[in-house]
Amino acid sequence: MGVVIRRELHLENSELICSWPGIGSIGLVAVDALRSRLRARMFGEIEPWEFFEPTKVVAREGMLEKLVFPRSRFYHSVVEDRDLIFFVGEEQPSLGGKLYARGQQAYRMANMVVDVALANGCRRVYTSGACVSLVHHEMKPRVVAVVSSDELGAEMKKHHNVFLMSDIGEGRDEGVITGLNGLLLSVARKKGLEAACLMGEIPDWLSRTPFPYPKASKSVLEAFSSILGIEIDSSFLDSQSEEIDKVVNSIYEKFPRDVREMYDSRKSLAQPGPISREEAEWMKEHIDEFLKSLAEKQDGENDDDDRPV
Amino acid sequence: MMTDRFDIYRVPRLQEAALLVGWQGRDIGEIGPGVIDFLVEKLGGEEVAEVNPEPFFSFDGASFIDDIIQVPESKFWACEESNLLLLKSDEPSHAQYDFLNCILDFADKCQVAELYTLNGAPSLVAHTSSRRILTLFNDAQFREKLGAFEELEEMTWEGPPAASSYLLWVARRRGLPGVSLWPEVPFYLAVRSDPAGVLATLSFLDILFGLELQIEELHEQVEEFNARIDRLRQKNRDIDEAIDKLEKGFTLDEKEQVKLTRDIYELL
Repeated sequence: MGVVIRRELHLENSELICSWPGIGSIGLVAVDALRSRLRARMFGEIEPWEFFEPTKVVAREGMLEKLVFPRSRFYHSVVEDRDLIFFVGEEQPSLGGKLYARGQQAYRMANMVVDVALANGCRRVYTSGACVSLVHHEMKPRVVAVVSSDELGAEMKKHHNVFLMSDIGEGRDEGVITGLNGLLLSVARKKGLEAACLMGEIPDWLSRTPFPYPKASKSVLEAFSSILGIEIDSSFLDSQSEEIDKVVNSIYEKFPRDVREMYDSRKSLAQPGPISREEAEWMKEHIDEFLKSLAEKQDGENDDDDRPV
Repeated sequence: MMTDRFDIYRVPRLQEAALLVGWQGRDIGEIGPGVIDFLVEKLGGEEVAEVNPEPFFSFDGASFIDDIIQVPESKFWACEESNLLLLKSDEPSHAQYDFLNCILDFADKCQVAELYTLNGAPSLVAHTSSRRILTLFNDAQFREKLGAFEELEEMTWEGPPAASSYLLWVARRRGLPGVSLWPEVPFYLAVRSDPAGVLATLSFLDILFGLELQIEELHEQVEEFNARIDRLRQKNRDIDEAIDKLEKGFTLDEKEQVKLTRDIYELL
């Protein structure tokens, strides 16, 4: 049980970029787009059965053909003499059906990923996910970075639209990066690698909905493009953003007036004087209440549909 | 082998034996536990081992069904004269892969050469119909070996895997041939014991292993059960019409299925 390497690469001085499902699929969409645009080729995978339960069985004419498990795969791409390793996981290992990785299994998987990178001369690890913030959905999401050293932080800040977590003006000097995005950084740093997590901003209320948030994925993809010094066309995410914006706006337009006014004041977030924690709590309380009433109304309509005619 | 994961009372003397596995708790028509309980009783099965539940089941609290506290368990019985190893188990709540390997580790120790899992398959048949047994094999030669049995029908299906399918898959990786037997259970009996499904399965196993089981009492149980449904049909026109449609080979739409299931559950 463990890692299966299908193609030995023997790389030197490579960089590892990882993603898993998470809030708004922000990191997963960005990294998977980068991987496919750079035509990265699969070279290995982590055997799934220690970490995941099967999701599907395929049976034909009485024979068990296969069981399908969530995949956790390594890919490789060379971009202008730069070796990039990608790790894309379809699920985070977790007990009890939680979205985020935790426990011994998660720690074990993080070590497996970093060990494959180390065996290929990796010097830096990137993970990517969501930063739940007070951003307004009409604003361009910033990319918020948490890094393993001050030097790397200074380097990240040079890139357009990339900010350090402590710079985004919401009292975020301390915090926790949940799941494998955070765990992997810890393991990488412990093993002497540079590490950074690039997180696309998502409005707090949208983080509690099931929608993807391609607008933030685009910001993250642009940041990677700048950091890696490569041209990546991210315009394909615009049409997805437009579709999601229609849904988001249809909910936003139903906000009670006072909630909407308070929420709209976030548009000044890029200006001096950020929204206070108290205001944020008020927003959360009122928007959650509103979303709950919306869901209950929807359920009530569905119940009517189920009645025998 | 991780023996701390078992309490082994005795390693039975078996040779090229068959392991029969029934899952309790959520099995459609309670086929698996029904068959295992019957075999343990009639063949004089001796309890020989138990899997330690701690690594595989949640102990956040205690569940209960019909006022009775449920304790997860995974017990093996041996029937040495019949050369059978029997397992009745709850499905693990986590670490399934380790759990299934644990089962097969003990099977190895007991010289098991074939695996049979027992489950009910919900079907749009009436309870008065004869029951097919759908099959899923993990080995083509083993499928050929059982190919002569007319009551068996090959299954084609894609969807979420049951514990039995996962066990078959793990067994194949370890070189152990196996089959999942899925006798049809009328959908409206899915959440209760279906004696006709148990009888169909036992009849097949009786012939396959030459067990010479005394299954008259099961026939009586089936007749008694059918008589109860007959009385219900006489009292309730909706139930009678729905079952009549199934007996004539017609299907029921989703609402009719839900209604029949609810009526039978509440009134039987």
